[in-house]
Amino acid sequence: MMKKMLALLLCAMMVFGLCASALAEDGAVHITYSYWGTPDEAASTQAVLDTYNASQNKIFVELLCIPNEQYTTKLQAMAVANEMPDCGIMNENGVLAFANAGLLADVSDMYEGKDSQPLDCVTFKNEGVTPVAFSGCNEILMMFYNKDMFDAAGVDYPPTKVEDAWTWEEFIDVSKKLTIDKNGLHPEDEGFDSENIVQYGCVVDNWTWQLEVWAQSNGGSWFSPDGKECLINSPEAIESIQKVADLTLVEHVMPLYLGLNDEGIIRSVASGTVAMATGGAWNIGTCMSSSGIDFGIGVLPKMKEAVTACTSGPQVVFSQSKHLAEAKEFIAWYTQEENSWNLIETGIWMPLLEKYYTQEEAIDTWLKDEEFPIKDYDMAKSVLVDYTLSSAKSACWYYTPNTNEFTDLLRSVLGAVWTGDQTAEQAITENFDALSDTITEDF
Amino acid sequence: MNISATTGKSKLRKAESRTAYLCLIPSILGLSIITYIPLIAVFILSFFSWKGFDTAKFVGIANYVRLFTKDPYFYDSIQATVSYAFMAVIGSMLWSLMIAMLLNRKVPARSFFRAVFYLPYVLPAMAVYLGWSWLYDYNHGFFNYIISVLGGSKVMFLDNANMIIPSLSMIAVWLSGNLIVIFIAGLQNVPRIYHEAAEIDGANGWQRFWNITLPCMTPIIFYNLLMALVTNLQVVTPALALTSGGPGNSTTFMSYLMYRYAFINNKLGYSCAISAVFFVLIGIFTGILFATSKSWIFYMGDDNE
Repeated sequence: MMKKMLALLLCAMMVFGLCASALAEDGAVHITYSYWGTPDEAASTQAVLDTYNASQNKIFVELLCIPNEQYTTKLQAMAVANEMPDCGIMNENGVLAFANAGLLADVSDMYEGKDSQPLDCVTFKNEGVTPVAFSGCNEILMMFYNKDMFDAAGVDYPPTKVEDAWTWEEFIDVSKKLTIDKNGLHPEDEGFDSENIVQYGCVVDNWTWQLEVWAQSNGGSWFSPDGKECLINSPEAIESIQKVADLTLVEHVMPLYLGLNDEGIIRSVASGTVAMATGGAWNIGTCMSSSGIDFGIGVLPKMKEAVTACTSGPQVVFSQSKHLAEAKEFIAWYTQEENSWNLIETGIWMPLLEKYYTQEEAIDTWLKDEEFPIKDYDMAKSVLVDYTLSSAKSACWYYTPNTNEFTDLLRSVLGAVWTGDQTAEQAITENFDALSDTITEDF
Repeated sequence: MNISATTGKSKLRKAESRTAYLCLIPSILGLSIITYIPLIAVFILSFFSWKGFDTAKFVGIANYVRLFTKDPYFYDSIQATVSYAFMAVIGSMLWSLMIAMLLNRKVPARSFFRAVFYLPYVLPAMAVYLGWSWLYDYNHGFFNYIISVLGGSKVMFLDNANMIIPSLSMIAVWLSGNLIVIFIAGLQNVPRIYHEAAEIDGANGWQRFWNITLPCMTPIIFYNLLMALVTNLQVVTPALALTSGGPGNSTTFMSYLMYRYAFINNKLGYSCAISAVFFVLIGIFTGILFATSKSWIFYMGDDNE
């Protein structure tokens, strides 16, 4: 009986195998798209691929699901065996390492002939020149605030226009008015109890990579434009870090954060303990819209010039692919906004293509969507659209390799700065060689 | 115990040992494929520069040289690991022995309390650390709330490099429900008659604990000590769940450092070198424990004592 069953099973498998190989001979080019997550999680991705496969008969895309925690390792193993997928999702801070190893295709021609290009600031460029990947969407840093706390203090909301951006001093002044101790006193009042603050004025998220924006705002930078030289020991960069630390240590307007976790907004404005905080645009959809807090968004304050950072995870084409043109065509289709509209209309993603920032019609489909959490059109347009165009600069991983090692080390170096045990100057100077090594050293 | 030392091997014995080897094959295979071959591979890879997606390049002892002379984390990482393990092991041993002694008495609702103390051990680690991070939080945490209500000044449980290891060790102590269970089992095996005899001789509770319970428990203590030491030296979860290795390098535990180099920064060869050093370190500590064990472990029925 068992033997019969086994024989039947084998036959069935053979027939199925024959069918499968017949399917493969449908004339279409078969490519693989790799994605992290369990097959369950990938169901929505599969649905998008199904739409694509049904919409044309030139290219057939298969989904390769790799569990999140094994993703990079698995890709590495496949690279050694020369069996990489044709295209896939990646982590932003691993892109340039893969590009340097020659594993990513040049994508400069990916959007040739299309009606709109991706924003330049979310284009990954090897050595700051060759485009090797585009992000799947866009995200910028901005200010989130609690309207009720501002109303209660009788203070104007943070500006939404970049030309009105607060100077750092104005920002501190407003933060002081919004900081209250248990006796109702503000930091400038006599008898203010900095040990018992019940409401803080601000949080400037010091989750490490987000600090780079302040160096740029202060007229400095962390890296040279080709990503080959580390400049974090420049006086502007050091001063910008100290200014953020002083919000806690000197001004008492910001709670103590060590920047060890990516949760600035969740632990501040969204939890109702802080009046305003800096954070990525994704927070509109991931936590603010469901927090029950009447919130608004504004532009970041400036130290010298108004700057914001932009970032988002990339979709890449692997150079080992035998069907580069098809893989590029698919990724260009796949990353178009319509395929992720639920993420865009809920405020988690910002669109990738330029037209959503420059053409009124496209802007309206996004910001006037009835699901979109921010109902104040002028506020949304000014902060999300105009601010991106005027002030967004690429985060470091768009042009610098090994930024993961760099931010890891910087995070540990800055620990003593946030608590006031060291000044930014001491910490950075002492560790500059090691910091600088992270982006150049190969071992 | 040596029964068969007299004559040559009988047929029966041969057959027996054949069966024995046959039965051992699966575990020998498993052990070598899953444990020993990877272990050797780690040692070999530690002499290579390998990112995972390129061809491994032989670099001699360069990885070790960088590790001992240049690495910005390595020494801090050894210090963090050893001090955490030291505090967590001592703390959880004392705590769980104490709780086990209490739960071994006829207290009301004993099984309820046993469950209560075991519960933390089975909770998901992520939830545990998130919960504790709220308790420990500097700005709005529960402990600091209590401290300010009592009029004290706030404590940086997680934000100060000197406080974080004791704070995390506290969590480890709270998590040591498995040790309690083993201790309780051990306590129930301490012969009643010794206690009865001592009571008749007029020994008080402390004397009985010191002279009877504790000596009889030494094999169990040794076992728990060894297990707790090895587990706590391999600590990684708090760094992953809570601290990302900070503040400073104060919680960049060796396992975490290894993980970060290997799977985040693609330095697999280098990470293998750390792993090899780590292996030696754990070996040394375990060796010390074994070497001293003879002088303080009391085995009932052992002629030497």
